Amino acid sequence: MTSQSGEFCFVDNIDDAVVMLADKSRGLVPIAGATWLIRAPLRKEEVSQKYLSLTGIEALKGITLGKDTVAIGALTTHQDLADTLEGEQQFQGLVSAGGKSANPGVRRLATVGGNICATDFAAADIVTALLAQDADLDIISREGRGSVSLADYLKTRAARPDGELVIKAVLPRTQSVSAHARLTMRAAGDYPIAIVSLYAALDPKGKLGEVRIAVGSVEATAKRWTTLEQALTGQEPAPDQAETIAKEHLGEFTGRDAVDANGKYRVQVLPHLVRLAFVDLREQCERSSI
Amino acid sequence: MTIRLTINGEPRAYDGDPRDSLLDALRGTYRLTGAKDVCREGFCGACTVNIDGEAVPSCLRPMGLLEGASITTIEGISAPESFTPVQAAFVEHDVVQCGMCFPGMVMSMSEFLKRNPTPSRAEVKTAMAGNMCRCTGYEQIIDAVMSIQPVEGAN
Repeated sequence: MTSQSGEFCFVDNIDDAVVMLADKSRGLVPIAGATWLIRAPLRKEEVSQKYLSLTGIEALKGITLGKDTVAIGALTTHQDLADTLEGEQQFQGLVSAGGKSANPGVRRLATVGGNICATDFAAADIVTALLAQDADLDIISREGRGSVSLADYLKTRAARPDGELVIKAVLPRTQSVSAHARLTMRAAGDYPIAIVSLYAALDPKGKLGEVRIAVGSVEATAKRWTTLEQALTGQEPAPDQAETIAKEHLGEFTGRDAVDANGKYRVQVLPHLVRLAFVDLREQCERSSI
Repeated sequence: MTIRLTINGEPRAYDGDPRDSLLDALRGTYRLTGAKDVCREGFCGACTVNIDGEAVPSCLRPMGLLEGASITTIEGISAPESFTPVQAAFVEHDVVQCGMCFPGMVMSMSEFLKRNPTPSRAEVKTAMAGNMCRCTGYEQIIDAVMSIQPVEGAN
């Protein structure tokens, strides 16, 4: 049996990309980093025949550090994300997510947009860290350009409009700190079996004024740990206490079973990851005398 | 579609399926078998090559995205009959056993040392997270990388 050769199309602007992707008769699949798509045969999935490369679209590139927001283009690689935000106090969780995902070679290829849009990829470090930062997504479709919170986008990810593109993630700038804790089966190079990403704004007394905790890889899609956030608000950012309180709120999760770990274990390790994230947070605060 | 790229300094034209991975093109079409076909999912590092200055797994790069790219493989990292400092260090420290991981190790460590010419042992280990070796236990490889003096660099 002879299979047809594939086809790659190229485009240099988002408007044309949306039109081409929305035209179902063309059957185009968007591609950029390609680290998820090219492994389709390993997942026993059909390899698409036609691709639209987004790599030439300037509007999807770069990180803009503004006074009130930070905008991260969808084509930003994990490594570029980590390198660019290194030293930015609020975004150390994102730095860690980008700088420790997968392995060095994959980080130089995999994109923020791919991490957001890969609906079947549960162990997404960047998504979890962006969720903790309360990121919004700048999107475009045939209906026009708009914004949607990452949290809402993730809930509807499998049913988004045809041809929709994520242009960038937009994060509000705040006086805050963040941390990212992940558990792999080996020291490095694996997908994490559980991820906790933490964002905290401390009040004048040094207690948790606003806290956001995002959890990834435990379920099919990353989500906020809202009951723990409520329980920790107003508390000291103490690792031991956070771990103890986390153990009381595990009922919010139904862990997924997969070849690397079962669901029960993924949930079981969450309090430990919460503790690690708060240890990191404390060390950051001590270094910067917050 | 014809994809035009440069491999080890030579201009090449690829007329195969643009979905083919660079790894398959290197090994099957250009007979550059230094990059090894092992995991095919970017985790083992045995297929690492340099694309436009960055060490990346060639199994994850479809040819369709490589128009105009400059590729360097293990075959092209040094002049014939000479070694780069990384290759020389690997030989001197008797690092290579079966040889499957070695080309990828050289490519990754060469690029790493350009960015960080005086790494700590822990930094070398972190940089090697994407290169697996089933033979050596890694310590001699790390010894070899640590032995490279900054004045020489990686290339």
